[in-house]
Amino acid sequence: MRILTKAFLALCVAATGQAQAITVFACEPEWASLTRTLLPEVSVRTATTHLQDPHHIEARPSLIAQIRGADFAICTGAELEAAWLPMLQARAGNPKVQNGQPSMFFAAQHVELIDPFKGTITPFSGDVHVNGNPHFHTDPRRVLQVAKALATRLGSLYPEKKPLVDQNLANFESELQAKIAIWEKQLQALKGRSVITQHASFGYLWPWLGLKPVADLEPKPGMPPTAAHLEKVLAISKTQPPIGIIIAQHHDPKPARWLAGSMGMPSKLLIIPATVTDDQPGAITRWFDQLVTQVTGLAK
Amino acid sequence: MSHSNFSLLSGIAVTLLSTMASSHAQTPAGTANWQAGVVLDGAVTSKGLELGARDKGLGLGHSDLMVRGAFNEHFSGEAVLGFHTQDKKLEQHVENAWVQTRSLPHGLQVRAGRFASQIGYLNELHPHADDFTERPLLYRGLLGGHWYDDGVRLNWTAPTPFYLRFGAEVFSGKKLVREATPDSTSLVSTLNMKMGNDIGPSSSWQWGLSHVQNKREAEVEVHDPAAEAHSHSASFSGKRMWISDLVWKWAPEGNNRNQQVRLNWEYAQVSGINRYADSTMRHRASSLGAVWKFTPAWEVGVRTDWLRVAKPEDHSGTIEFGNGRLTENAIMLAYKPSHMQTLRLQLTQQRASGANDDGEPVFAKPAGRSIQLQYVIAFGAHGAHSY
Repeated sequence: MRILTKAFLALCVAATGQAQAITVFACEPEWASLTRTLLPEVSVRTATTHLQDPHHIEARPSLIAQIRGADFAICTGAELEAAWLPMLQARAGNPKVQNGQPSMFFAAQHVELIDPFKGTITPFSGDVHVNGNPHFHTDPRRVLQVAKALATRLGSLYPEKKPLVDQNLANFESELQAKIAIWEKQLQALKGRSVITQHASFGYLWPWLGLKPVADLEPKPGMPPTAAHLEKVLAISKTQPPIGIIIAQHHDPKPARWLAGSMGMPSKLLIIPATVTDDQPGAITRWFDQLVTQVTGLAK
Repeated sequence: MSHSNFSLLSGIAVTLLSTMASSHAQTPAGTANWQAGVVLDGAVTSKGLELGARDKGLGLGHSDLMVRGAFNEHFSGEAVLGFHTQDKKLEQHVENAWVQTRSLPHGLQVRAGRFASQIGYLNELHPHADDFTERPLLYRGLLGGHWYDDGVRLNWTAPTPFYLRFGAEVFSGKKLVREATPDSTSLVSTLNMKMGNDIGPSSSWQWGLSHVQNKREAEVEVHDPAAEAHSHSASFSGKRMWISDLVWKWAPEGNNRNQQVRLNWEYAQVSGINRYADSTMRHRASSLGAVWKFTPAWEVGVRTDWLRVAKPEDHSGTIEFGNGRLTENAIMLAYKPSHMQTLRLQLTQQRASGANDDGEPVFAKPAGRSIQLQYVIAFGAHGAHSY
């Protein structure tokens, strides 16, 4: 009898939506971490990891199920997820997380993007983005702008959580501001130096670090490196010696390894995660710490 | 393509073009509300396949003009004008013209208009995105390659931790069985289910089971050994059809950018062929394909297919059944420098067996060996890919 009563109570709790945790679908782990930082009690499902190229994700059945059950979704936007998120939204039958709804949050709508593609897009342009580079999470100042916009959105969707969210935002902001001041001091050594990279994955990181990207392993955005193009990059590396080659962990390392070997600097290939390596609170600060240490280490 | 549809076609074409012209007027950093694109699929074929969609020589395969987007918070829609060459002539079809709900609660969705049925794995996918130059025999023999029709659909996605979706569709059926007996009622309905999940970070699967209830009984064709078959509807049909489809995909840590393996197996069975058929007669088909992306731009694939049919023929008033069998094995190599382009070389081996009571083969022109070189290029938006 007691078991029955307990089961009945559990059902009642489950039936009243208020008592359940808010379920969040995060396209990328940095936004999962940020959401948890602002509202630690949420239940978050993260669609991708730092080991995956966020442009190329399968619209898998598991992801449809996750977005089906989401109360709130947070994604980068600016076409980063154009190959898979619209399919998940179309299949899930969840009205809350359709574009234009307050529970569908696109971080790109709250920051200024760099390098919008200008000109006519043809099938030979590569994977170009007319709105600009969507990898802005590599700039901590833009992450702060997203955090503020996210806090505002969460506060208006869940008014009872607003004081908590605002307090967590203030803590995050002061912590990250203090860190940015420390990092920027460490970055002095990099000012004006050259770097060779792959894709625009770190497009926002270079100007912040003060590095000058002189060559890209990809002949066109999103196109895998070709032998002919790598020869050109090798020639550039001779006239503008870089501190090294920096690629993301989800890139195929073979072309970069070949290039580093050909340049006679195999130890100067740095493979770093293109985003946070876990989706817990604090992951963003830890990741930037690691980036700054590794890149300044490469320049020594 | 009848002329009565011509005004509809040109209307859609004008809408497509005007939308394409304005598709760059996007909201800043957001997702564009409407997208438009064109896909061209050209191929050179050394020998046309039995039940195949590509003629010998140079031809345009399944190409299309597409526009899709959301009308408002409640409805989205899509229109696709498909075109391809057949016997060196250009044919056009309105393949998609549908509206779907976006705001129904509890995982419910309704779609109405013309659209591809969601039975099987490949049917609702666009053929130009296929891994091989021709659809499997299962689709070419039993579904006219790509079965789209006029109708309505109701889907329910369950609130489960894994993917589970139930669907029901009702169609006019005229695109599945073109020439039906006068006493046929004009309805084809489907019941279908899909489920799927991940197995660890690297692999995922999906299984589908579909049933088609077909009340359109095909007219039996008068036996003519010299007849050239070309049809967009099912060559072999029946009252009931079952399809089971299984997909498994693997990529290291789920990063399918650099490497991926995709396996797809489908099996279909059709019973209740027509009023003259023995109740034990069946059409059956199976397809098993594997594709390995071994570097970011290169893929290899193999596929093995078979189709067994009981083909009704009218021999001066007497209905006779011929048991025919086709088998196909294909290997392909594809180069995909970006989302927008695919260059594919395919070798296909096709064999036929089985004859009618007069000793004439059911499949008269199996290709033996055929080589196909295919090039697919996309302009404008190419949309999101389904699993």
